Amino acid sequence: MKINPVPLSKSDLMSVESPARYVGGEFNAVIKEDMLEELEKTGKTSYVRFAFCFPDIYEIGMSNLALQILYHVLNESDFVACERAFSPWLDMDKILREKNIPLYSQETKTPLCDFDILGFTLGYEMCFTNVLQMMDLGKIPLLQKDRGEDDPVICCGGPVAYNVEPMADFFDIAMMGEGEEMILELSEKIREYKLSKSTDHPMTRQQLLRNCDEIEGIYVPSLYEVSYNYDKTSDKPLGANIRPIEDGIKTTIKKRIIKDLDTCTYPTSPVVSNLRVVHDRSYLEVFRGCIRGCRFCQAGFIYRPVREKSVEVLCEQGRQLEKNTGYDEMGLLSLATSDYTEFPKLAEKLLETFEGHHTSLSLPSLRLDSFSLDLMEKVQSTRKSGLTFAPEAGTQRLRDVINKNIKEEDIFSALRLAFMGGWSTVKLYFMLGLPTETDEDVLGIADLASRIEKLYYDVGRETGQKMRRLEITVSTSLFIPKPFTPFQWEPQNTKEELIRKQKLLKDHIRSRNIRYAWHDFDSSVWEVVLARGDRRLAPVILEGYKAGHFFDAWDDHFRFGEWVEILEKHGLKIEDFAREYSEEEILPWDHVSVGVNKKFLLSERHKAHEETTTPSCREHCSGCGAATFGVGECFAKRNGTCAGASSEEGGAADAAK
Amino acid sequence: MLQSEREKMMTMQEHQTAYVQRASFSREGATVFLGHLDLMTCFERAARRAGLPILYSQGYNPRPMMVFALPLGVGIETRCDYLDVSLKCPYDAEKFTQELNAFLPTGLRIIKSKEIPEPKDSIMSIVTTASYRFEAKGIRDAMEKAMEQESLIVTKMAKGKEKQTDIRPLLISLSQASTGDPDSVDFYAFAGSERNVRPDLILNSLSKYCGMDPKEAENTRVIRLGLFSGEYPRIIPISDVEIR
Repeated sequence: MKINPVPLSKSDLMSVESPARYVGGEFNAVIKEDMLEELEKTGKTSYVRFAFCFPDIYEIGMSNLALQILYHVLNESDFVACERAFSPWLDMDKILREKNIPLYSQETKTPLCDFDILGFTLGYEMCFTNVLQMMDLGKIPLLQKDRGEDDPVICCGGPVAYNVEPMADFFDIAMMGEGEEMILELSEKIREYKLSKSTDHPMTRQQLLRNCDEIEGIYVPSLYEVSYNYDKTSDKPLGANIRPIEDGIKTTIKKRIIKDLDTCTYPTSPVVSNLRVVHDRSYLEVFRGCIRGCRFCQAGFIYRPVREKSVEVLCEQGRQLEKNTGYDEMGLLSLATSDYTEFPKLAEKLLETFEGHHTSLSLPSLRLDSFSLDLMEKVQSTRKSGLTFAPEAGTQRLRDVINKNIKEEDIFSALRLAFMGGWSTVKLYFMLGLPTETDEDVLGIADLASRIEKLYYDVGRETGQKMRRLEITVSTSLFIPKPFTPFQWEPQNTKEELIRKQKLLKDHIRSRNIRYAWHDFDSSVWEVVLARGDRRLAPVILEGYKAGHFFDAWDDHFRFGEWVEILEKHGLKIEDFAREYSEEEILPWDHVSVGVNKKFLLSERHKAHEETTTPSCREHCSGCGAATFGVGECFAKRNGTCAGASSEEGGAADAAK
Repeated sequence: MLQSEREKMMTMQEHQTAYVQRASFSREGATVFLGHLDLMTCFERAARRAGLPILYSQGYNPRPMMVFALPLGVGIETRCDYLDVSLKCPYDAEKFTQELNAFLPTGLRIIKSKEIPEPKDSIMSIVTTASYRFEAKGIRDAMEKAMEQESLIVTKMAKGKEKQTDIRPLLISLSQASTGDPDSVDFYAFAGSERNVRPDLILNSLSKYCGMDPKEAENTRVIRLGLFSGEYPRIIPISDVEIR
């Protein structure tokens, strides 16, 4: 099979920023030449061509672990050839439109419309319009209903796919949960569909979609009809009424998980970009799920239950990754690395493995204590970068509300150690607009920062060390209520209220050692619309895209005012999605089950308002429902396969039954 | 560890002897569109994948000791550029070539390598001249016209400011070898840290003064054919420069 040349002239490529984004040729990229050659010669065969699409630029997409995992899983199979595609930046977008060149894959430069299936990974809501951009440039009809037998099947996955309703009109299929097994089952259905085309009974696209519904975790939006009722006086149920259009279609879509991460395939030879990308390192995924349960955090609930890989498997994967990629940095990936049960042992073993290799470990999301500080000294060959804390809220009261189980004593004792060790840059992350937040909580942020400043100079006096200039950065983002969290019903503060709180905080930060950085309001407001949105938004998104809105995730390109106009033109308003959702109404995403059940989320919400915390999954099982998957740390504890199991606590055991 | 102890550690590094491989390499295909820093990273990673005993620089931020003779701009192919790779131990040049080639991305290839004594003059400092090939419709005529000019003033960006510069003195001569084909031309130009001309500036001047279509100029295929030391015409390829 001849690999197509890049369908662009040299002057086109030279006229855009980072032309290397558009030419492929990376180490470890997979081109299944034999399969593609046979496909070309014989026409319809049983091979499936999959385009893994990342709806943002190359440098961001190539830093994405889901892409590497699923690319590897698909290409490891003997009947799928998977290639990659990314959103072209505005300069290249313009060239492709002007010259009518279809968006093509990195590997063989095949137009997207020539693939059997396109799989989009949705990591953030603001990428929705880029999905449309890629389909449009790839010469594929945008609306699901307009696509015919020969068009690719368009599917998606990733955390945002759990509430895919705003994009339901565009996708054929959404995959809920971890994709390693599901994506192959789906590809198998596509293969059967393709094979049937050369028989006496060719399958229709509609039949294909019906068949896909049989796969657990797969949601076919077009097989459901929805009506919305927000009139409390009507006898119809309140909220989003979503029903299958026919019998036999599943009423609840339950997310999929991988039960054993040790035996699950993992990309130890990921594609290595030639171009420096956002996170230019290899990734070692340590565990999935989080024991913490911070009430605002979607990841903390949708990835449950906690499943760890063993130290042995991790060390072997780490060794291979380092050798196969040549990266001089490896990131340990999870939601909270310090929560890995055998973290000290893992860190020690990996450092041993990389001894003398000039390979450093990147340890994001580390809880600061004497152990982690010591470890950071060992792993960081470069100068001391900043320390990062995320207290999220300024007062203990509000931290209890959000269940951020971090205590001020812990912050201060860790910082004391850090300051003694010569650290002088501290970043503090907070959220504004959290449920129950008062001005006292906002001012608590400024107070915390100035007490940290005082600590720094106290340490200097006590130890007699020469202290460098202290730099504290206080950074605030805005609270966004997300589906599948205890705060999914909470209202978002109005923009006016948020601006007032921000100004209040800004006025109370007076030290020149403390810098205040804040996040853009507008995009956070729009994000809430998309995150808690429903099918009424599809025409809005479509119209916005057609009016030239994409790369909304890029603050410079996001034009909030115009989006609000389009929203209002369709009879909707920000308030419809930023309001407090009532506990009685059916939420637009209630037909999806992530394991953690609504009853638990609701009880967590009530506890939040009572300012009561919930212990971590490791301390005590709170019966969230995730044990229904029959695996995970909590489940093992319940069933006595793990030390410290006790019988009196209900929770997970009940949920598992 | 306290800050003071850490600083003490940093100053206690021993000197290591470098066993230097001077290698020539080519690039074509997708890798042509890489900037020089990305190109260097590609070589570093390939060497790490190959498990070569690379020597690292010392200090706060140790880097693999790899020195390129001359930066290679985005969009330029090369038939023969050079780099010095410092290794911790003596290494067979043939083995070095094969092992590195097995781990380079498609498009980058080591042509030949030889072990040299640790050079006193850096490989960057000995480059004086480069030879290039331009391929485009009617390029030979345009280039001949350029050589007849007294000056070729072009605008280049230096430190964020536009600057007028005459590149004519930096063009040395057209090479005899490529006579015949009107759409291809080989030439020598000054290169290196003292006097250097970028091929894209030459192409700019061709469209500005020598009647070449600007689009054609932008689409010109640019190939670096070789890098040399010494004064033209007594120049020698970098690989043949004797190490003092």
